[in-house]
Amino acid sequence: MVQRLLLAALAAAPLAAVAGPGGPTSSPDTTGAAPTPGLTQTTARSADGLPWYRPRHAVVQTGGGLGMVAAGVGYSLRDRLDLDILVGYVPKKYAGSTLSLASAKLLYSPWTLPVGEKWSVKPLSVGVYFSYTHGTLNDEEPNQYSRGYYWFSTDTRVGPLLGSRLSYALPPTTTGRKRNLSGYYELGTNDLYLISYVQNTKGLSPADILTLSLGVKVDF
Amino acid sequence: MRSIFRNFPLRTLLPATAALLLGGCELLEFSPNDHRSSDEQQDLTAKNLARLAQTPLPAGDTLRFVFTGDSQRFYDEAEDLVKSVNQQAGIQFMLIAGDISDFGFGREMRWVDDHLRKLKIPYLTVIGNHDSVGNGRKAYEKIFGPLNYSFIYADTKFILTDTNGREYNFDGKIPNMPWVNQELRDTSTRRHVIISHIPPQDEDFDPAVREAYVTALRNDPRLAFEMNGHRHDFSIGEPFNDGVTYINSYGFEKRQYLIVTVWGDKQFRLKKVTF
Repeated sequence: MVQRLLLAALAAAPLAAVAGPGGPTSSPDTTGAAPTPGLTQTTARSADGLPWYRPRHAVVQTGGGLGMVAAGVGYSLRDRLDLDILVGYVPKKYAGSTLSLASAKLLYSPWTLPVGEKWSVKPLSVGVYFSYTHGTLNDEEPNQYSRGYYWFSTDTRVGPLLGSRLSYALPPTTTGRKRNLSGYYELGTNDLYLISYVQNTKGLSPADILTLSLGVKVDF
Repeated sequence: MRSIFRNFPLRTLLPATAALLLGGCELLEFSPNDHRSSDEQQDLTAKNLARLAQTPLPAGDTLRFVFTGDSQRFYDEAEDLVKSVNQQAGIQFMLIAGDISDFGFGREMRWVDDHLRKLKIPYLTVIGNHDSVGNGRKAYEKIFGPLNYSFIYADTKFILTDTNGREYNFDGKIPNMPWVNQELRDTSTRRHVIISHIPPQDEDFDPAVREAYVTALRNDPRLAFEMNGHRHDFSIGEPFNDGVTYINSYGFEKRQYLIVTVWGDKQFRLKKVTF
């Protein structure tokens, strides 16, 4: 089990690497002379004056196969790319055993449309998620199955996401950083539902395989 | 307040929201292992048995049922199977020899039921190894019912039992022989029929329980035959050369099923139907 958690963490690491240091630090908003190499190495501050590793927002959501409740933190790149890392929980009575889920979501929202002074809408977010479930009952034990007996993983899921976000501008921080309180929905599915549909376009409908997430995101 | 409800966006949003809330239970899925289901897609075994009890077989009529298995991830075929079975006359119910789902998810079990509830006859299932993956057993119990159960119809006791030994990592307790023996000891009916997913001659059947199971069947004078799935193809024979007949079902993807007709003490006839 520990090995699997490690594997899951390793699998999520490239995602974190993409949106982590490569993100805010490469922002072109800093003007003036190029920083000296020594300075970037020691401080590595991004345009908003925060170190790269400091999360930019907190997230709470329900559904989407990521938990009855899933909460976590995330990073944003140029207000378009979001990487959220969540920990989810499902009570025993809904799934047969208490489940905890670790998940990562990468979402790209190309447009932000202002609505009046305080409100704005991101009409389209597309992305992918990855999740690892801990706590399932009949989880492969050593030598239980021959190699490849089940071709799929019972615990690791990936899937596409499609959604929208509505944001309300909160007062900026003392350092002048903009902050939003946002509500979002995401429609998604997972690898196994998707393959079920692709092979049965007559016997299943696209609506059959959909999942819905509803959530709130706040910048801090 | 009234003027608010005349407001156009609200008038369209309210029904949409209501629809979302009603279907939302399944759409707002907490995990693929989330087995919450609508009231009508819970306890399907009990519901189908209640339906079967409403149409008892008149004396002198022949017992006739459809036998199939392994519906897993074959939803196109499920639709066509239902159309075909609904055209058969004189059938009392359908039996599915396990592997209702492929990944042990409740949603898959509901997808299969979405099709099979269109049958004119009730259908009954037994749990398969794929239904046991992850939290599948809990989903199966919620949506269908017990993993071991029996019912009496047409002077025949049908015994359905979990033989998915490998899914319990061969703990020596599957199938549950005390339960199976107790069911076989029942002398209130003329015939016994036992149905399970993994055939005892299969490597996924717990080798430590094989002898006990095969011996119990051999010693039951009322046993007409034993039925399995798992192998996705039809076969009939006496693998243990002991006078006990074992019948294996087609998988849904083979686009064939069996109509089983039973009469007398142990006489039966099989008819293959292609759909």
